[in-house]
Amino acid sequence: MCGKHNLLLETLASGLTMKLDTSGLESAYPVLRGVGDLDDAIQGAPAFELPNASDFDGFVKEAMAELKPAKGTTTLAFIFKEGVMVAADSRASMGAYICEWLHELANPAETSQTVKKIIEINPYMLGTMAGGAADCQFWHRNLGIKCRLHELANKRRISVTGASKLLANILYSYRGMGLSVGTMIAGWDETGPALYYVDSEGGRLKGNRFSVGSGSPYAYGVLDSGYRYDMSVEEAAELARRAIYHATYRDGASGGVASVYHVGPNGWKKLSGDDVGELHYKYYPVTPSTVEQEMAEVAGP
Amino acid sequence: MSIFEYNGSALIAMVGKNCFAIASDRRLGVQLQTIATDFQRIYQIHDKLYIGLSGLATDAQTLYQRLVFRHKLYQLREERDMKPETFASLVSAILYEKRFGPYFCQPVIAGLGDEDKPFICTMDSIGAKELAKDFVVAGSASESLYGACETMFKPDMEPEELFETVSHALMSSVDRDCLSGWGGHVYVVTPTEVKETILKGRMD
Repeated sequence: MCGKHNLLLETLASGLTMKLDTSGLESAYPVLRGVGDLDDAIQGAPAFELPNASDFDGFVKEAMAELKPAKGTTTLAFIFKEGVMVAADSRASMGAYICEWLHELANPAETSQTVKKIIEINPYMLGTMAGGAADCQFWHRNLGIKCRLHELANKRRISVTGASKLLANILYSYRGMGLSVGTMIAGWDETGPALYYVDSEGGRLKGNRFSVGSGSPYAYGVLDSGYRYDMSVEEAAELARRAIYHATYRDGASGGVASVYHVGPNGWKKLSGDDVGELHYKYYPVTPSTVEQEMAEVAGP
Repeated sequence: MSIFEYNGSALIAMVGKNCFAIASDRRLGVQLQTIATDFQRIYQIHDKLYIGLSGLATDAQTLYQRLVFRHKLYQLREERDMKPETFASLVSAILYEKRFGPYFCQPVIAGLGDEDKPFICTMDSIGAKELAKDFVVAGSASESLYGACETMFKPDMEPEELFETVSHALMSSVDRDCLSGWGGHVYVVTPTEVKETILKGRMD
């Protein structure tokens, strides 16, 4: 029997009984248990401390409003004949200020230490980040841990369906507490390529084409008009790149580098990371125009 | 986002040796969405006087129309162009008239005064004048602009060097602002000529 206390429920003096899915916060070392995740409430996992506020929801909403996680980004993913294409921009903005360009290495052979908006959950599954950066990073990494534990426990890889369900359940239990996550889980499992959209409101949708973020309307326009199921990998990559480029052109909160990834039967591979500033002049080169007016006469002093 | 940042803008005016430069970005947006990438913010009042208007675009256009009207009247009555110092006082008075319902604009005025001495000034939305000897900035990217100008400015620059400095300061500042950029528009004015240049910038 596990003799661990659940500090969470005990310290809530206001008497709220919140059923949070704390399975995401299990400790790494092995815990011997009879049956699987039966008793979420008595896990003894290190839980988030909650403040003793009378109006907990209001307090959290105010705190998050101060932080203002804006979903200022453009990410997209679509399924086609050769797998899943995933693309994103790289701008991190706080209101109107551009915090940093999340630098991507243009050379796909380099290690992906600097990948920021496209997160590698495991070698055959990718997640995209839109919303609060901290939220997305933490919960994607958490999802990666749970997927690996599943592999070890069941001797086979987790399906994309299963992975997205794990994430969606966790996010649903934190619903209303101010997490901001708009993510797509893309991968290739035994059933073939799969793509799910999961958000912090608890929504989970299976689909063939998604775009998330403030620049998504612009990306959808290009993506939907150029999409065909039977495209080659190069054509699909160019479509994804173009869609991200157009979103960065129109949306103020998107920009920087357009990165494109392909998820095939052998896992994901980064295809390109192009600076959208240069992409603009590649797609629309500046043509030198004739000078219309040239005043040759110079007036004297 | 405040009303001043609704459309997004970036303006610099800088003094050189017997010349001045005035530069702006080219984006017109509605909060985060970009509507136009060739929006004009700098207007010519007369040969040696330019005004740039940052802030809410509709107020900038209306204010410009009122100022052109007043200047034309002045030209008819006085039979000469207005001096930059006088024009600055005119703008300040017009803005203060609307003290309790202001134009949401920050003007940047640049001109060559008596003996072609460069004059620049900026003011807030209700007409408080700030005369500067080196540079003035305005717009949603103003904090970045101050930083960039402060580092890159040198006194008594020739027109070519002034152009480079203003362009670099403008481009690097707007690259840190979501709401301005998408190209640049620079005017370098000397007693004998005006050079207008469109800058190639990051279109994101």
